[in-house]
Amino acid sequence: MIVRITSGITGFDELTVPSDDLGFALGGIPENTITLLYGPVGVGKSLFCHSFTYQGLSTDEPCLYLTTDQNFSTIYHNMEDLGLSLQEYMEGNMLQVIDASNGEKMEESLTHQASSVKNPTDILVKVSRGINSISQNNPRFRGVVDSITAILESNDEMLIMRVLKSYIVRVKEAGGTAIITHTQGSADLRTEIIIKSMADNIIMVDGKTLVIESMKGLGQKKAHYEITEEGLIVGKEE
Amino acid sequence: MSMVETGIPGLDELLSSNDGDGFPENTATLVYGPPKVGKSIFSYQFAYHGLDLKEPCLYITTDDGIKQLTQNMMDFGWFLQGFIDEELLYIIDSISSLSGVRVENTATYASSKINDPTDLMVKVGLGTRFVFKKSNEFRSVFDSLTTPFIFNPEPMVVRFLKTYLRRLKEAGATVLVNYTEGVASPGTERILKSIVDNVIMLDGSYITFKSSYDFMGTAKYDITDQGIVLGEGEIL
Repeated sequence: MIVRITSGITGFDELTVPSDDLGFALGGIPENTITLLYGPVGVGKSLFCHSFTYQGLSTDEPCLYLTTDQNFSTIYHNMEDLGLSLQEYMEGNMLQVIDASNGEKMEESLTHQASSVKNPTDILVKVSRGINSISQNNPRFRGVVDSITAILESNDEMLIMRVLKSYIVRVKEAGGTAIITHTQGSADLRTEIIIKSMADNIIMVDGKTLVIESMKGLGQKKAHYEITEEGLIVGKEE
Repeated sequence: MSMVETGIPGLDELLSSNDGDGFPENTATLVYGPPKVGKSIFSYQFAYHGLDLKEPCLYITTDDGIKQLTQNMMDFGWFLQGFIDEELLYIIDSISSLSGVRVENTATYASSKINDPTDLMVKVGLGTRFVFKKSNEFRSVFDSLTTPFIFNPEPMVVRFLKTYLRRLKEAGATVLVNYTEGVASPGTERILKSIVDNVIMLDGSYITFKSSYDFMGTAKYDITDQGIVLGEGEIL
């Protein structure tokens, strides 16, 4: 039996209920897997990650969040706008952030470290430490990499594929469930194939439609979605 | 020519129809296709069915570590522990070491490194001898070439593969090798297809088998909670 964790995205868990049982199983994201979320710029990939993170935090699952496009204070305020307050989770060491964006950085602390997309080794060191410290006290946790695209742009793509594989192996070994976002078409075709081969689940979003191209224990699924003030709202299966 | 049962519902029937000889024993087969079409599931079924028939298996896992491999198979209700206890299954895990977690080698489990094909070849030698002592009819799975291609130069992976195939076939094994299409250059892909006896292509909808003497069969398939299941097929 495949255990699924609640995604935090409205409508998503209903869409991912496995169809071939008696209706007792719950939908969500298969636990201890890696999900690739890809699509063009500005279609709600980061919002998806925010909801996924907050859902975990509010059910006592810690989260390791690597951000490369938005700086963390932007995320922090965006989430407040969604009614999601991160303050207490940061104080309780439940949320660990590695901010590799170009934007202005918040003060570094135990739960908030700065890095740079130009330094993948530093990112991997900090992420690995984060996984170790989180998994010491927690059998499960959530991971977010939003996004892999900016790291690919600043480095040799094959090097980043090795770093990504290393991240994935560590997350899985430690019992984590992670989402990795990627802007479609921004890397070599070969690199995009490798990213897909490393992920367990593949979700495509294009601004209107969410397509589950592949997911453990589930056939392909497709649904409309909307970006609202409360985050993404996924509609019924088409 | 002797055959082995793949255990994949519909495939043995398809390959035995129209005077076909079934899935050929003591050959090497490349299973390839795009990501997420069921290549690993195919090899799980192939290995598990053999184990069920008491045919030993040398399983080399490079994409997922042993913990994930065991979990993935358990999702389908295929449990490995009994076969490990019976010493029918020998696993070489060349990816878990990347996580930094210490893994203990046992009589039937050897850890290797993803960027060290020489070490992997040594472990393959040990594993082959171990499995061969149990039976000279055994299976070997290499799942997959994808991660080795990310961590090593292409010619090195090809050289490793040639040695691996020669050694395993000499020992009597029926060998599966998985590969994600598009990860290596077109030239390397041509070499991969030329150094095996058979190819199986999975594209998400159709499975196509082609032997070295151009026996071809194709069928629709689905991935179910029983693994890959073939629909109506035909011999071409």
